Amino acid sequence: MKKTNEIYIYNDSFLSLLVLIKKLFLLNIIPFNITNNCELNLFNPVISLNLEEDDLIIKRLIDNLGKRIVIDLYYIYLSNHLKKEMLIYYFLLYSTKYHEQVYNLRRIGVINDALKASGYVRRENHKFKGFLRFKKLKREVWYAEFAPTNNILPILVNHFKKRFKNEYWLIKDVKRNIVAFYDKREVYLRDANMLNINLEIAQDEQKFQELWQTFFKTIGIKERQNKNLQRQMMPKKYWQYIEEVNSEESDY
Amino acid sequence: MDLQEKLQILADSAKYDASCSSSGGKTQKMPGLGSIATSGICHSYSSDGRCISLLKILFTNCCIFNCLYCPNRRDNEIKRACFTPEEVCEITLNFYRRNYIEGLFLSSGIIKSPDYTVSLLIKTLELLRHKYHFRGYIHVKAIPGAREELIKKLGLLADRMSVNVELATDPALKLLAPNKTHENAYKVMKYIRDNKSPQFVPAGQSTQMLVGLPEESDWHILNQSQNLYHNYHLKRVFYSAYIPVNQNKLLPVLNPPLKREHRLYQADWLMRFYHFKVSDLVSKENPHLSLLYDPKESYALSHLDEYPKDINKCSYEELLKVPGIGLKSAKRIMSSRELFPLDFRDLQKLGVVLKRAKYFITCSGKYYLQQSFLAHDIKAKLIPETKSRQLSLFDEEN
Repeated sequence: MKKTNEIYIYNDSFLSLLVLIKKLFLLNIIPFNITNNCELNLFNPVISLNLEEDDLIIKRLIDNLGKRIVIDLYYIYLSNHLKKEMLIYYFLLYSTKYHEQVYNLRRIGVINDALKASGYVRRENHKFKGFLRFKKLKREVWYAEFAPTNNILPILVNHFKKRFKNEYWLIKDVKRNIVAFYDKREVYLRDANMLNINLEIAQDEQKFQELWQTFFKTIGIKERQNKNLQRQMMPKKYWQYIEEVNSEESDY
Repeated sequence: MDLQEKLQILADSAKYDASCSSSGGKTQKMPGLGSIATSGICHSYSSDGRCISLLKILFTNCCIFNCLYCPNRRDNEIKRACFTPEEVCEITLNFYRRNYIEGLFLSSGIIKSPDYTVSLLIKTLELLRHKYHFRGYIHVKAIPGAREELIKKLGLLADRMSVNVELATDPALKLLAPNKTHENAYKVMKYIRDNKSPQFVPAGQSTQMLVGLPEESDWHILNQSQNLYHNYHLKRVFYSAYIPVNQNKLLPVLNPPLKREHRLYQADWLMRFYHFKVSDLVSKENPHLSLLYDPKESYALSHLDEYPKDINKCSYEELLKVPGIGLKSAKRIMSSRELFPLDFRDLQKLGVVLKRAKYFITCSGKYYLQQSFLAHDIKAKLIPETKSRQLSLFDEEN
């Protein structure tokens, strides 16, 4: 393998990234960076290979490396790590050689970082299975907003597809301006600007929000008050979209 | 009385129950609303830092029992309320659809008789499961003394069922809860143990014990826990620091012993996952867990002849006895050291808390610190770290 100072371009999809990395393996190239940002760079040559994208590559990866590794690759892809493409490059490189033993190679810095990035995505996804809040809109549509640190919407929908399989629902990632909507059969991910959502809430929405506030305030035990622990478990950065704590904050 | 006020009263009466876990259930492939996540999900955290996973309410806080420690005891002059089954369903379903909760935790004071109370709970859960096809998590309290066929019916509607033993020893229970007996509780636990199936209480049973009532030491409490795990196959024992809700010369007036409660949870964890026995942690002569050191540190400090353990040679069980090494890092050490011997830098990447583990381990014969392995030295060095860690989690007692 040859280290270069070149930057390689992919077109912002997991598949495109995998196809590019596989090609780089064939060419024996370790790039300086991989990015979907085509801006010119003064110090490094920027190269676009225009490869054909065949999604058979994912199936082949699963056959060769097992599902666990491919899922981790995808989770790293969803992470907010600044060099996630290079983490995927190295994780795939070592997985190709060591297969599942790659999970015992945390002593290698990039592998440790890659597993941390994927763990962060997994944990944040798990948290939002609980922290997401739906509102009932007119015509029995359920609507939720959130702003996760990692791009977890594409995996979070799997949970709600099972949980609310007989409802119409929408989830908006406000930070990335994408919306997932579910029509009782499939989930679709779209740019939020493409959708025109009527956010008028249903008649009984207010009533249940108030009941929830009552429950939330009552269930905390005064003699055990521990706001530090509360914040530790439910980080402040998420509060904006969690009504019960967001409105509680203004009480102080 | 409107629904707001009822919810306020009946959540307030239920809040002292420590259990809020929603784990261990399995989604059944039936049409309806909801699903169950095997690992459990926390939806919010209340001002005391406890997880909110379930809508935790009493069906009613009216009670014919007069247990001294209970806020809902017969003699207390408090506002009483009672839900209707439809009201419980309305709140549960609407909270669930908004993703506020993972399911329902329904308990109740005893009205008229245990049988009558259980039949009200059954009516509520039947409505929820059969009329509204609710498939979320349900934890229900079994009422000791109710007829077996009613307990069976109730268990078929719930994911988890629990009976609180309340106190570790018979004399204490007799003194503080004259209407309750451990025999009655064990009878229900035995029934649940012997009837577990995918339809009947699939997530198993749990219980709760109060902490901080006089005469009961950690030794009493942990022995009771060991008995319950071993003989009744409980999934969890919860510990609840007693909060002085009632005035009585038999009851303490101190602030809740939160740190002691925390130590009991740690000891409980060691017993369930780390191959510790009660006798490793406390004894009749030394009946209390240390508040200064966590239980594993205490064990290590009083068994220094077993340490230091060599990370690259010792067994999995021995790794688990090292402070700062958890289940996950122990497993990672086991599988990584097959590839290459580990050094201290590697351990950090595997998730070992080196600042505590370093005193008790060697890596291929090498000790982390310059000076040799000295007991009083370790004791002194562990304190400040432990203390500052505890202070950030819990306020000082009293």
